[in-house]
Amino acid sequence: MEGVLWYVFTGTRGGPNRVRIVRALREQPRNANQLAEELDLDYKTVRHHLDVLLENNILDRGGDGYGAIYLISDQATQHWETIERISEQMG
Amino acid sequence: MAIWIDSLRLTIGVNLLLILGLLSIWGRNFLQFRSKHTLGLFVFGLMLLSENLLALYFFQFDPVLHVWFSAEMPMIAQRAIMLIRIFETIGLVFLIWITWD
Repeated sequence: MEGVLWYVFTGTRGGPNRVRIVRALREQPRNANQLAEELDLDYKTVRHHLDVLLENNILDRGGDGYGAIYLISDQATQHWETIERISEQMG
Repeated sequence: MAIWIDSLRLTIGVNLLLILGLLSIWGRNFLQFRSKHTLGLFVFGLMLLSENLLALYFFQFDPVLHVWFSAEMPMIAQRAIMLIRIFETIGLVFLIWITWD
């Protein structure tokens, strides 16, 4: 999981925005629309990042369709220290 | 017959473009995160870039090697070198695929 976190957040083009998404979801679970608004990102961009994060087991999804709520997965919660460190380095 | 050498130059050109794409992402992430991981990726990219630039120089510009590679290298050696470059290209394409994301 450690390696996945580092690459998904710091090795890829969309990494920095994915850090912002995960930070926002740590505060409270939200749906894609709320995230787009909160972070001032395009809705489709947010959906893409959410898919990548789901695929890598960093997030879980509750519900379906437009209203689906995203939250930090158990696995990612266990590694929250790593995510915190990445996030701090981003400033 | 320099067809293999021409293809070789082309492959090196493609590799260079792919590496520059990776470096642009890894370099930006390094500036943002300043972590050991982002530095590692960036330096790896720089080394691979140097390797390909050097290869291009040998095959295309070096006064002695350029002639030797074009005219005198046996076909079997040209093909062998080409094969190595193609594997590198395939590897880079996959790396771009997961990184340009």
